[in-house]
Amino acid sequence: MKISFLKTICLSVALLLAQMPADARVNVVSLPKRNSVQLTIYNSVDLTLVKETRFLTLRKGMNKLEFSWANTLIDPTSLEFRALTHADEVEVLDVSYPPRVSNTLEWRINSEFVGEVQVEIRYFTSGISWNADYVAEANKPEKLMNLAGNVRVTNNSGEDYENAQVRLVVGVVRLVEEILQLAGQTRTETAKAPMAAAKSEARRAMIGADAMFDTATFGGEKPREIAKEGISEYFLYTVEGRDTILNQWSKRMPSFQAADVPIVSYYKYEKEQFGNQVMRFYRFKNDKASKLGVEPLPDGGVKALRIMAPDNSYSFVGSTSVKYIPINEAVELQLGNDQEVMVKPTLMNWEKADIRFDKHGNVVGWTTKETWDFEVQNSKEIDVVVDIRRTFPGDWSVETEAKYENVDQNKIKFVLPLKAHGKQKFSYKVTTNYGINVTK
Amino acid sequence: MKTFIAFTCCAAWLLAPDFAHARVKLVALPERARVTVSLDNPNATLVEEERLVTLQKGVNQVDFSWASVNIDSSSIQVRALGHPDKVTVLNTSYPPNENALIWAVSSPDAIEERFRISYLLSGLNRDIVYKAVAEPNEASLSSRNYLRLRNSSGEDLSNAEINIGYGERFTKNLAHEEVLELLSEKIERLPIKKVLTWDAAQQPWDPEYEKKTVGIPLSYVFTNDLRSTLGAHTLLPGKARIFLKTKDQAAAPGEVASDGITFTGEDWATLTPVDREMKLYIGQSREVKVVQRKTKDQRTNIRRTTGNADAMWDTDEEFKIEVENFKHGPVSLVIVEHIPGYWKIVESSHPHVKKNAYTIEFPLQLGKETTGTNKTTIRFQINRLNVQPNDPAPQNDVDFQ
Repeated sequence: MKISFLKTICLSVALLLAQMPADARVNVVSLPKRNSVQLTIYNSVDLTLVKETRFLTLRKGMNKLEFSWANTLIDPTSLEFRALTHADEVEVLDVSYPPRVSNTLEWRINSEFVGEVQVEIRYFTSGISWNADYVAEANKPEKLMNLAGNVRVTNNSGEDYENAQVRLVVGVVRLVEEILQLAGQTRTETAKAPMAAAKSEARRAMIGADAMFDTATFGGEKPREIAKEGISEYFLYTVEGRDTILNQWSKRMPSFQAADVPIVSYYKYEKEQFGNQVMRFYRFKNDKASKLGVEPLPDGGVKALRIMAPDNSYSFVGSTSVKYIPINEAVELQLGNDQEVMVKPTLMNWEKADIRFDKHGNVVGWTTKETWDFEVQNSKEIDVVVDIRRTFPGDWSVETEAKYENVDQNKIKFVLPLKAHGKQKFSYKVTTNYGINVTK
Repeated sequence: MKTFIAFTCCAAWLLAPDFAHARVKLVALPERARVTVSLDNPNATLVEEERLVTLQKGVNQVDFSWASVNIDSSSIQVRALGHPDKVTVLNTSYPPNENALIWAVSSPDAIEERFRISYLLSGLNRDIVYKAVAEPNEASLSSRNYLRLRNSSGEDLSNAEINIGYGERFTKNLAHEEVLELLSEKIERLPIKKVLTWDAAQQPWDPEYEKKTVGIPLSYVFTNDLRSTLGAHTLLPGKARIFLKTKDQAAAPGEVASDGITFTGEDWATLTPVDREMKLYIGQSREVKVVQRKTKDQRTNIRRTTGNADAMWDTDEEFKIEVENFKHGPVSLVIVEHIPGYWKIVESSHPHVKKNAYTIEFPLQLGKETTGTNKTTIRFQINRLNVQPNDPAPQNDVDFQ
């Protein structure tokens, strides 16, 4: 059964009768079905470009087409009409938004052709969104992971889109006005009430339509391919086949799967960033050598799991979100605090020396010397790498036997590989000049 | 309130193009074949359940729904275990206003498939509880370590395999709103040290001026290592209750007195990795008295401005600590002194340990009944160097433990 709210956009063909007064007309409503529909969904703004085709039968001369979109989030300023067949014989003369009738427009079309014409209607709508998410499944030694990407499309536009081709845009476009504002509505005004009332029916309809489609097109054999191509500054994902996405439903589809991606189980200690906690990261690179690098990875949530037992049962490692990852970019998934890796700094000595006075006896220069001891302990049964960063403002110098790198003018890092159940200690002395003792 | 997780599988057959939305629905209600609950991550509880689902050839709709159960819907994963190369999850649909999802699962044949569904469940709280009984000589203790689970997740867990991150899994039933305490570990004859800690920053220096009796904090200290019959894993934070073995009075003359125990104190145990010490502060001792006095405090090496203000100086400070032990046995006592800034020890009557830039400790072994003229007296002298008025507090992220 088709339920009424599933069809909020109707298109009518009004045949003008020549002898009738201008305002009087007889409408012959044909309700032409959508022949095809394509959704191009952006994730940086609340914007979806809808392109649908329909077959209309036109008469010679003036035709009026009425298009209405009650209870949807369509931007009326974006609606466009064009003939795909007999284009040179079909011309839009003007568009009228009738008074006292909301969410309706009327195209006045002059046709030199009599008969069926395929037309395209394009518009922007708010309320359809997509986002990416990932599942990172690390092996027990945390050396390799399977990375599965998914895309999830959510439709709160007020309109059902059946058998639509879905395209997803990764990239940032600029809007000077929000589509939702142009639609003249707030999201809560969309057709929630009828949806709730007919929820179960809609659900059944959706499942039925989906089953029909999947069975007919794919024979239940394989998941959809998602074709990816770079266009200008954007990346376009096109989901294979057609999908039905009803109003207020979401649909999640696999986007890619990469097995045995090399990872480094990497730990960071940086007081200014994480307090006294040790943060766990998985590091990998979006490149071919890492069995990725085919496409940029859109920003999205990540759930990281680790296979812990021979029966492949999981341990939950953590969840995070990643920023957009271009091809060849190195990635760090910040997965939260891990109590099994300990970093314990202790200030063991503090001195104030090299005191300088001005001619009035005021202290105008001094130098402090701090000695820090670090204990680092890995209580895990696997090898890890611990990255300890220390920040020193001002004019400082460090003496240590431990190997370190300068991160920037005020920060150094010690990178320690730790064996399973391993421990390490290191020390450094930092000298800081103040006042007139500053030399650089 | 009705709580449940429903898992249904229906095979969809296309009837005719004109009835695209009508279908014959055959619903199976597969029982849980296995449930595991992983508590190894302190921030999240992972539940994995396995279900045997009968699939038809083609695309199957598998519903997973839950009501009044605190499942993080974004965390739900499904894996085909039996035929992972053949059975494929094509997509997942999320109906509006429902705690449910529908997997479109393709199968090349009509088969029974074992699925494993993983999700994060909130409301399943866990506490670690240590219950220990010390020997009368307080040289060792036996501990029973428990995992206390409080299930307010809305979900009844039957025959759940519970994994706490170490040791064997437990198989238990845990109903919604049930609290279950599991014995997770037995520790026998764990060597302990009984230590009193007098901290100059925490305790009054002269008990005579106090209206109440001053007690000195008493701790049991042990190391999480193999020599202490531990060392297998990090000890997790939790409440530790300590009891002491006693002899009860005989019920009647001539009868043998039975063993008894008495409660001696409790503390919050902190996270203790392998080879590190756990210190449990369980009470106070009133049998040891510590009196500390500063016997000298002079400014030296004063550097003045032309306006005769003190711009910088050193100090010469002396301290005397008198300790009396009224107990009939020896006592371990640690005196903790905090000395901020830049300083040097000039002299000390007893060996000390520098714990960090601003803390020293005097570990003492007090003989029994060392009171009066036999009391222990510690003297130490320090010089603070280059002290300034309004000295800025030096950076310090030291763990003082």
